[in-house]
Amino acid sequence: MSRLLPGTTLDWDWYPGTIPANAWIDETAYIETTFSFHLLRSQDPDAVHIGRGAATYLGTMFDLGPRARVRIGDFAFVHGVWFISDSSIHIGDHSMLSWNVVLMDTYRASRDPVERRRELERVPASDDRRLRHDPPTDRAITIGANVWVGFDVVVMPGVTIGDGSIVGAKSVVYGDVEPFTVVAGNPARLVRHLENSDVADG
Amino acid sequence: MRNDHHPGLWMDGELPPNCRLGERTVVTGATAFKRFHSRRDPGLTIGANSTMDGVQFAIGAEATVSIGDFCYLTNAVLLAELEISIGRYVIIGWNTTIADTDFHPLAPALRIQDARALSPLGRGMARPTIARAPVVIEDDVWIGPSCTILKGVRIGRGAFIEPGSVVTRDVEPGAHVLGNPAREVAR
Repeated sequence: MSRLLPGTTLDWDWYPGTIPANAWIDETAYIETTFSFHLLRSQDPDAVHIGRGAATYLGTMFDLGPRARVRIGDFAFVHGVWFISDSSIHIGDHSMLSWNVVLMDTYRASRDPVERRRELERVPASDDRRLRHDPPTDRAITIGANVWVGFDVVVMPGVTIGDGSIVGAKSVVYGDVEPFTVVAGNPARLVRHLENSDVADG
Repeated sequence: MRNDHHPGLWMDGELPPNCRLGERTVVTGATAFKRFHSRRDPGLTIGANSTMDGVQFAIGAEATVSIGDFCYLTNAVLLAELEISIGRYVIIGWNTTIADTDFHPLAPALRIQDARALSPLGRGMARPTIARAPVVIEDDVWIGPSCTILKGVRIGRGAFIEPGSVVTRDVEPGAHVLGNPAREVAR
């Protein structure tokens, strides 16, 4: 297995960026633009991993805080996902995610308005002018293999979506989704179970 | 982004003359004012120490928008034909849309008139009256990504709007809401 080398520019890229040092991207993966990495602030040496034959398109953004890690499996199709991560987000093999999808493992803000004021007052003096929330209340998101996520979906902190499931467009997912089910709605609810007689393992 | 002391600035172009930005307020994004048509003065007022990262100020000729101090908006879309008022210490997440208008009339006959007025042949033709009502977002409100806030809504101080919510009615101060339509979570 070999990777796209850090510092590589993409021939088709409209943005004057390069592949970051802490993104391990399989050489067979497709990255539409390095603009997707301009909010990558993670200090983790292995912050982003993108597997064989995976693709991330234009609307994708790795909005990753200092300790965040994102894993995208083999042949995963990520059309336009905004990864808002302070801990970890995992997408399994063969999963397909549509445009304007938000996967957030953190709220990046306190529930307490008084504490939010303190956080906002630190922004103008910060190096990168980003909102920080300490200690983070982040909880990892796990999306299994062969999951289909429709457009405009939001997945909330701590959620696990089981293999083979479908999340309908514009759903907001607050709780875990069982494998091989369809959920939809805001908030998302179980719609039905999927037949799984001829599915190979993920 | 620079963090030294400065008067408010737009990083990617020359600010329209009827915009007022407070000290240390920063607006970024090449398309921030692409749909800014306000002829009011001021058409846009932002207080001090606010961050407007990738926000679209789609403000119509008769409209004005005001935003307070220490706000933090990322990639929000503000569609104003009348007035949107945002208080102090307000956070609004990615891809959230706030609109104070219905955009088009509801009556079918008036929509035909509107389609013609908006067409390439509609130059000089008046658009029909379109329902609009001010949106007010009070201090200390948190609005997550992918929300929609509709016309005439007042969101009370300190309210917490979960991501993806569609807010069609007023939200009480301190309330916690989610869903489409947004409803209050039991306190």
